[in-house]
Amino acid sequence: MRDGALRNKEEKDRTAAKDQPADSVSVSDSRNGSSDFWQRLGLAILAIGLSFAVSAIFIWLSGKNPLLAYWSMLGGAFGSIDSVAFALNKSTPYVLAGVGVALCFRARVINIGGEGQIAVGGIAASWVALNCSDLPGVCLIPLAILAGSGAGAIWAAIPAAMRLARGVHEVLGTLLMNFVGVLLVSEALHGSMGEVGAGFPQSPLFPEQAWLPPLIPDTDLHIGIILAVVAVVVCHFGFWHTPWGFRLRLIGSTDKAAAYAGVSAARGVAGVMLLAGGLAGVAGAVEVLGVHYRLIQGFSQGFGFNAVAIALLASLNPVAVLPAGLFFGFLEAGALAMQREIGVPSSLIYVIQGLTMIFVLCALGISWRRQRV
Amino acid sequence: MNYAVLTELLSASIRIATPLLLVALGGVISELAGTFAVGVEGMMLMGAFGGAVTALVTKNLVFGLVASCICAVLPAIIIAVATVKFRADQMVTGLAANIFALGFTSFLLRALFGGKAPVMVLPTIGAIHIPWLSQLPIAGPILFDEPLMTYLAFLLVIPVHWFLRHTQAGLTLRAVGENPEAAFSVGANPHRIRMMAILACGVFAGLGGATLSLQELGTFTDGMTNGRGFLALAAIIVGRWMPFRLMWGCLLIGAASALALNIQGWGLPVSSYVIQMTPYLIALAVLCGIGRKARMPAAIGKAFIRN
Repeated sequence: MRDGALRNKEEKDRTAAKDQPADSVSVSDSRNGSSDFWQRLGLAILAIGLSFAVSAIFIWLSGKNPLLAYWSMLGGAFGSIDSVAFALNKSTPYVLAGVGVALCFRARVINIGGEGQIAVGGIAASWVALNCSDLPGVCLIPLAILAGSGAGAIWAAIPAAMRLARGVHEVLGTLLMNFVGVLLVSEALHGSMGEVGAGFPQSPLFPEQAWLPPLIPDTDLHIGIILAVVAVVVCHFGFWHTPWGFRLRLIGSTDKAAAYAGVSAARGVAGVMLLAGGLAGVAGAVEVLGVHYRLIQGFSQGFGFNAVAIALLASLNPVAVLPAGLFFGFLEAGALAMQREIGVPSSLIYVIQGLTMIFVLCALGISWRRQRV
Repeated sequence: MNYAVLTELLSASIRIATPLLLVALGGVISELAGTFAVGVEGMMLMGAFGGAVTALVTKNLVFGLVASCICAVLPAIIIAVATVKFRADQMVTGLAANIFALGFTSFLLRALFGGKAPVMVLPTIGAIHIPWLSQLPIAGPILFDEPLMTYLAFLLVIPVHWFLRHTQAGLTLRAVGENPEAAFSVGANPHRIRMMAILACGVFAGLGGATLSLQELGTFTDGMTNGRGFLALAAIIVGRWMPFRLMWGCLLIGAASALALNIQGWGLPVSSYVIQMTPYLIALAVLCGIGRKARMPAAIGKAFIRN
């Protein structure tokens, strides 16, 4: 069934590709024209639709009614103010990390180290929150977030340096650093930062002035989502309207053109990795300061790969990361309700994510013939 | 360090290296044909799942091994179609397949056993004592007193090496990874060869996964491969895409893990989490050490477009 659907899509994309100018590598061209915008949006919706359809088959095979399952998913995502707040909080780190990943991919740097960068960002923010508790909240929270972003940037700088100095591919570098970063959280909780006598590896509760203030009173929704929106807007502006963004686009399109224009690919790669790491670090800080109010073992699990999936769904367009991230946040909130009410395991969302990514990649592969991601 | 500890350490290195070696042998076939094997982590996880569940239900080891290969080929088919037919980016497609495999195994594990993940305790594949060779001093207990999959993995290095170096099919496969246009011009079919190579990679990775679930741990848990597929990829680079050399890469990582496990028993003042980091750190260090000397197949990562 999926093959048939894919073939259909291929035909659609082929006809769409004919309408486009043949050289997809030129820098000025990749500005979104309006027809291009609708095409990208259609692609994203098609990919999501297909992966939901395939996942419905899995639900049906497991003996549950897929329509009921998706209905309870919808209710779980949008049913109440609390569930919307939960979903928005879920989206916040995804959007923050996803924007960075999208920019990296645009410069042809495959940074999949979000998980580790978020983990160390969380550690640094927690350390500040626990050890500088004399400070008032207005100073403490920015300081903790800053510490988180610094730690994330350092974590990203290591694989960047390994690539630039030693030619180690960033995919392996960032992947292996993820495992080290996640283990560092366990190590921190095992050592000086852990709460004595707690049944689970976690830090003591942060002092209350370190908690992110709520955006809407009496809900769990914290101000992190504002940070995410700001990050998206700044990255969008920076990418499309500054010399820095132009250089990134140049590096991403062709090495030769970049070298000819005197743009240093190495500096571009280092810069975009630092930026992405910093944003992922902020995501980690926001997660511990706004949701858990403490550092918890494994708090970053799956975040890094979610960020990659979101960046792809957004067609690597910084501003589109916001809706894509929100979609994944609501998906997750819905999946938990689905598991509770219908008994469909919530790990189905990883199936949906993986399939969505594959469908988007296939469509991108056809439409951008020569370009890598 | 006394003699018994040393033999135990070396023997454990070989056991831990076994699943890595199987996965790396598969990965090298895929990469030499020109497709990055980032998806081996997911294939391995599917293999571990298929092997464990089938062995649990049928109580038959052979069925378990066959099922592990079949399950691991499933993500391999997805990757093959997406990267070869649709020219999707190989790295990110591999990652997507890993995410899919993680969700799919976790979903099925619960769906098959009525909503709750079962606690599996499977009998592990035991050691086979080779007559009189296992009585040899030093080498005996290390090399000739290992379980079935370990012998299989290390013996498979020879035919894989032979295939890639000395058969026409193997040479054509490598030509496709170096220059698909040239291979095409002399009558090879790069698309078909790349797809076959990815499927073969799936079979090897499935066996690697089965080794993990049926021989090493005797159970299946969510995400149990835990980066072993990525370590195998590091071993491929360390071995510069040559079967015998990557075997040493796998043994190096195996030795690091075995040493880490042993240190925990010695009561040194190092926490277990730092010790768990060592295989990843060693892989990173070795990759840095090799640096630019590693020469990838020239056409790896590039889709072949027939004009």
